[in-house]
Amino acid sequence: MKDVIKKEYQYSHKINSVWNAISDPDEISAWFIKADFKPEVGYKYTFTHEQTTINGEVIEANPVHKLVYTWIVVGTGVETTVSWQLQENEQGTLLTLEHSGISNYPTEDMAAIMFTNFSGGWDACITNLDKFLKESTHAS
Amino acid sequence: MPHNLNKIFKSIADPTRREIFHLLVLASSALSITQISQHFEISRQGITKHIRMLRDAGLIDMTEKGREHFCLANVKPLKAIQDWVQLYERFWDNKLKSLGDHLDQKNK
Repeated sequence: MKDVIKKEYQYSHKINSVWNAISDPDEISAWFIKADFKPEVGYKYTFTHEQTTINGEVIEANPVHKLVYTWIVVGTGVETTVSWQLQENEQGTLLTLEHSGISNYPTEDMAAIMFTNFSGGWDACITNLDKFLKESTHAS
Repeated sequence: MPHNLNKIFKSIADPTRREIFHLLVLASSALSITQISQHFEISRQGITKHIRMLRDAGLIDMTEKGREHFCLANVKPLKAIQDWVQLYERFWDNKLKSLGDHLDQKNK
């Protein structure tokens, strides 16, 4: 089973700009999620989206190249890890995002049951999390 | 996150409850609380409490026969978690596109 979501995105911007966008709380809040954040190892951050809270700890901060933090959706008790890597190139900056520990939802043996009918399911995305979170907020 | 998803996560966060659930999945038929208790070293009262949580999360269907309660595993709620994990893929795609827009806006 695939345990890591990996995304590579090319941006036509300088590495410093991309680094600021992913590490400065005001910038994170502007495009990603409302953030109380500092790119310092050990910093315990909080992201909030409506009624969903995500928190975790910065485990690696290497400006302007790498940022890693744990990612825990409050209420799930499941710890995953999100890693951002930036690489300067001719076109600007290549971003590699990795979200690992997905199989921790919820645990190995449960995962085995869950994923029985799930081969190749990663590509068959249904709807986006934003929409899902909004709907669930209205539903509850 | 929807309330019931929270309940599912909470109920399967506990190893004993996972074992109870697993036992019922493997049995693929209804077991009485007495039968379930035989597999565990904790009190029947404790087992009943765990079963109640699993039932509240929708992972166990219960029926009554005489004085006995019978439990049957229901794996359908797990689909909700499966979908939720899948949604991360799309979530990151959307967010990384937003990041691109944000950068374009800011660094015109």
